[in-house]
Amino acid sequence: MNSSPITSWEGAAAYFTFADKPFMLGLIFTISVIVTLGVIGSMILHEKHSFERLNNKD
Amino acid sequence: MTPEELKHMIEMSGTINMEIFYWWCTAIMILIHAGFLAYEMGASRLKNTLASGVKNILAFAFVVPTFFFFGWFIYLGFTSGFSINWEDATAGIPWSASMGPNLTDNASGVFWAAFTMFAATTASIMSGAVIERIRLSSFLILAILLGSVVWILGASWGWHPSGWLTKEFGYHDTGAAGVVHVVAGFFTLGVLLNLGPRIGRFAKDGTVLPIVGHSTPMSLIGLMLIIVGFFGFLGGCIIYVTGDQWVTIYNTPTTLSAFAFNTLMGFAGGIIGAYLITRDPFWMMSGGLVGIISAASGLDVYYPPLAFLLGFGGGCIIAYADKLLQKFKIDDAVGAFSVHGVGGLIGVIGCGLFASGYPNMDGAPAVSLSGQLIGALVMALLGFIPGYVISYALKAIGLLRVPADVEEAGLDIAEIPSTAYPESQGHPAMPNGAAMPPIQA
Repeated sequence: MNSSPITSWEGAAAYFTFADKPFMLGLIFTISVIVTLGVIGSMILHEKHSFERLNNKD
Repeated sequence: MTPEELKHMIEMSGTINMEIFYWWCTAIMILIHAGFLAYEMGASRLKNTLASGVKNILAFAFVVPTFFFFGWFIYLGFTSGFSINWEDATAGIPWSASMGPNLTDNASGVFWAAFTMFAATTASIMSGAVIERIRLSSFLILAILLGSVVWILGASWGWHPSGWLTKEFGYHDTGAAGVVHVVAGFFTLGVLLNLGPRIGRFAKDGTVLPIVGHSTPMSLIGLMLIIVGFFGFLGGCIIYVTGDQWVTIYNTPTTLSAFAFNTLMGFAGGIIGAYLITRDPFWMMSGGLVGIISAASGLDVYYPPLAFLLGFGGGCIIAYADKLLQKFKIDDAVGAFSVHGVGGLIGVIGCGLFASGYPNMDGAPAVSLSGQLIGALVMALLGFIPGYVISYALKAIGLLRVPADVEEAGLDIAEIPSTAYPESQGHPAMPNGAAMPPIQA
């Protein structure tokens, strides 16, 4: 996958991967947000499961 | 070499120096988190040690991406209040050309990084107060709100050259006593009101019962590390200008020497004040922190012995402030509100009392007591209201606090797959974190 927005360093400005591809930037951004929220969601489930498991041990 | 080439070389030198300066400020600020990690783990009972550590580590981890997603956008775009200034905000949109490696922009990344560390600091401030009973998931939701929305909105208003608090009221808060410490302290207070005290903290008649952390030495070292990190923080509060004098965030001239004088003097005053009142090393080190915060708003202008006295006053007051909270059955496990909320108020209002009349730039009013009082009120409300409302909502859906039996057993055994001190915690933690009996041969 060609992620480089530049073909030469001469006059380069924003040179991060996919800087010239808004769709890809949007996709990566969206996945990052989903990961962040998703881990919090999984945390809530993990807590619920852990607390119930502690109760069952008792 | 032509004059143009020489000019370019000087400008590039200055740009790279600026970048290097904020890079190291950011690196040193990580010590704030190392410090809070040690501080809070030490202040926790044995049965909750690692859970407190995890909470701290994750606060840092979650504030970073969320500050990228929307925090920086808020800072750039909300200087007028609640309406967005799109022209300025565009550079903070997370897919803009400024929000990644860019050879024509050496500043955005290091400034974003420094501000992200400030944001993570606010989450750490809340973190200690709520140990041993808050749910990790709810804490992180609150940490993201505080670190990537609330404080940075306050910064846009009062820690920005175009912020409305400065433009209209001359608000002056060089070392962020208001925008970081008052906001975070009062946000924490709002959360504490809904979270409730730890089980066993107060007897039925309101008597305060001691809950002692498992390692005061760890907490003391942690607090000293936070002081080191604070130097990185305050370095990040000054603006490097190529080929010219330093300026504050408000574009008023200052020097790093001014900060050096007043930070150390405030720090020392705070320790001495807290020692005088408490003789307790935990409060002494907290006093060092509050000493700097009490002098923070006017770090650029104070006569150093004045910073010392402001710090001394802050150090004297904090233990009493914490006792006052306890009278209302508010359990702030580490005195976060006293140090940051009350200390921050001393900082902001102290600047109004002792630094009134200093001129601001671009037609903004001079520093005044009324301007500082308005700023203090705005920051306190900006912190308190969302902290209270969101924690109330989390409580209403049963997500704010761990169940009582989990709290009694300990958060480590419930949530963490490893053990803090396996050789002395050979089996599930004793009640109340009591030490294991000696292992018989």
